[in-house]
Amino acid sequence: MTTEGSTSTMSIDAARTPADQETLLDVRGLRTEFQTSRGRVAAVRDVSFTIRRRERLAIVGESGSGKSAMAMSIVGLIQPPGRVTAGEIRLGGTDLRGLPDRKLSEIRGNRISLVFQDPMSAFDPIRTIGAQMIENIRAHQPVSKGAARRQAADLLGEVGVTNASSRLADYPHQYSGGMRQRVLIAMALANSPELVIADEPTTALDVTTQAQVLELLDKLVTDRGAALMLITHNLGIVAGFCDTVKVMYAGQLIEESDSRALFAGAAHPYSRELLKCVLRTDRRQDGLLSTIPGTLPDPTQPFTGCSFEPRCPLGKGNPLCRGTEPPVVAVEGPHGTQLAKCHFAGQLELKEER
Amino acid sequence: MLKLILKRFGVAAATILGASLFSFFLLRKLPGDPARLVGGELADEATIASLRHSMGLDSPLPQQFWNYISASFHGDLGFSYSTGQPVSDLVRTRLPATVELGVTGVVTAVLLATVFAAIAVYRKKRGADVSLRVASSLAMGSPPFWLALVAILLLSVNLGIFPGPEGRLSPSLAPPPTVTGFYTVDSLLSGQFGTFVDAARHLILPALTIAVGPFAFLSRLFRSQLRNTMREPFIVVARSRGLTRGSVFLRHAVPNSLLSLVAATAMLTAETMTGSVLVEKVFGWPGVGSMTVDAILQKDFAVVQGVILLSATLYVTVSFLADIVYVVVDPRIRAGAK
Repeated sequence: MTTEGSTSTMSIDAARTPADQETLLDVRGLRTEFQTSRGRVAAVRDVSFTIRRRERLAIVGESGSGKSAMAMSIVGLIQPPGRVTAGEIRLGGTDLRGLPDRKLSEIRGNRISLVFQDPMSAFDPIRTIGAQMIENIRAHQPVSKGAARRQAADLLGEVGVTNASSRLADYPHQYSGGMRQRVLIAMALANSPELVIADEPTTALDVTTQAQVLELLDKLVTDRGAALMLITHNLGIVAGFCDTVKVMYAGQLIEESDSRALFAGAAHPYSRELLKCVLRTDRRQDGLLSTIPGTLPDPTQPFTGCSFEPRCPLGKGNPLCRGTEPPVVAVEGPHGTQLAKCHFAGQLELKEER
Repeated sequence: MLKLILKRFGVAAATILGASLFSFFLLRKLPGDPARLVGGELADEATIASLRHSMGLDSPLPQQFWNYISASFHGDLGFSYSTGQPVSDLVRTRLPATVELGVTGVVTAVLLATVFAAIAVYRKKRGADVSLRVASSLAMGSPPFWLALVAILLLSVNLGIFPGPEGRLSPSLAPPPTVTGFYTVDSLLSGQFGTFVDAARHLILPALTIAVGPFAFLSRLFRSQLRNTMREPFIVVARSRGLTRGSVFLRHAVPNSLLSLVAATAMLTAETMTGSVLVEKVFGWPGVGSMTVDAILQKDFAVVQGVILLSATLYVTVSFLADIVYVVVDPRIRAGAK
């Protein structure tokens, strides 16, 4: 059963229900562009979505799809030559885009905090971990240095650093990569944020610590009742961890699904290809791990039609896909509604069998 | 940590020994007989021969070098062939003037360079940045002795704001009692406020003149270092924690960037003190520089040799100090030093 959503906004949220009380973050028509020598390049193209309180949301896509640019745009930290050129980012009732940097600073690290990909370069190398944690706490809480130090020690203990209060005096280079990522997570949660944006938080870590760090993130986010936006290129860590999944491709959201629904069957051909790239232990897999042939489209060239068309196993060469931007289509499945920006959403099985 | 310091100390001692070896043999191979200089044009051969003997010039070169080195350990650098004064006394009276001038110049340069570079990088408008770059280009291209002449002509002769090239004090004033040898410090220590003002007024122009070159170099270095640091991931991370651009700049970007200035400042200090020969001459500043010029003109080997030894000592001392500063301020190096 397929119903076609409105194509007027050209965005995946077209079929979404209006924002309600439970909405924490409401992003509408977000567009982020970079000024390059070859002209303006849109890294984020008219993205709209909402995050509910306590929601676990995964943003999935390959490198260069605009995930990180979107995260940085939300907190107003897109670095020049990048710039947010359109859209609204509503937290509660306020549009963050309209706020001066000073007001945004009160929100960053406080109501919205970030966990970054590379824990090795995330600390000031010449200041102690303790000094940086205390600075972080005191940026948002009117507490004394001593009180902040006790909080910092508690936090370190909570993320599994042994001898927490003496390790506050250590410098970043005295911590291992996994430990630094734990400290970063502790710092992100120090001021009880409403939303944690974790941008590839485990990518730089070795496999054995990845699971521990994710577990820790999971626990802390749950304890504090925060919402989580997990940005990753690895669908494997999404399953069982996130409630909803949004798939990003070439700066656009192209599928929005309940996470169980996505793993049961993607509505967009790109998501389907992504799923094939995941190593699964619950199914027998023959031969080599699958890859998606081709690369992301050149962002300096204007798009007509579907951005995935040149790589799409279903739509490649199809004049409809090449010429007309796909509408957002709602597909009803056993796990609820899935939204996909594809001319053939909901007909993937039919098309594939041919 | 102690091991590192000892290692550095060994390197420093070897450098000084090498420099004195080099200057010793170089000067011995130059034409001109020191005994003849001391004895004068009219002295007969017998007098010269006895002078050569008493000055130790008739013993073999290695022996002479050994005598020189072992004496210098006791602070005896020989005596000036032209004035007969011990070289160590000459240096002792001249050095404070040079150090006072050099330190004032370099400190001024460091302060101005860091402040202006920080403003240029912090301000988003390009005006400050462009003016700093233009100013430092001009400063780099101006020879110090020429700047000294222009400064005297403009600010002293024409406008009369500063005293002329009359040295460290007005001729009518007596130097303050010697404690450090720095007139500005000594006059304050002895409570002679009038002398302090006069000494400071005499110090400003030459100090600013020698500050120009180091300012140009340091401001460029600090500017590019700050810009690089501001692009470091940890700066963005600190911003994401809610620190404002200003506090990230002051608390993280500036301290990290200052690290890169330590070594450059040390070298510039040594260079300024040993290289401000012409500026000292133009301002009539009674420092080591003007003494060196006179000694070279009079073939006064003992003094030249003493100055070379002093310069080498100065260079290794400041770079040794710079290394120590790094060990103290940079925790990564501190860890490596353990």
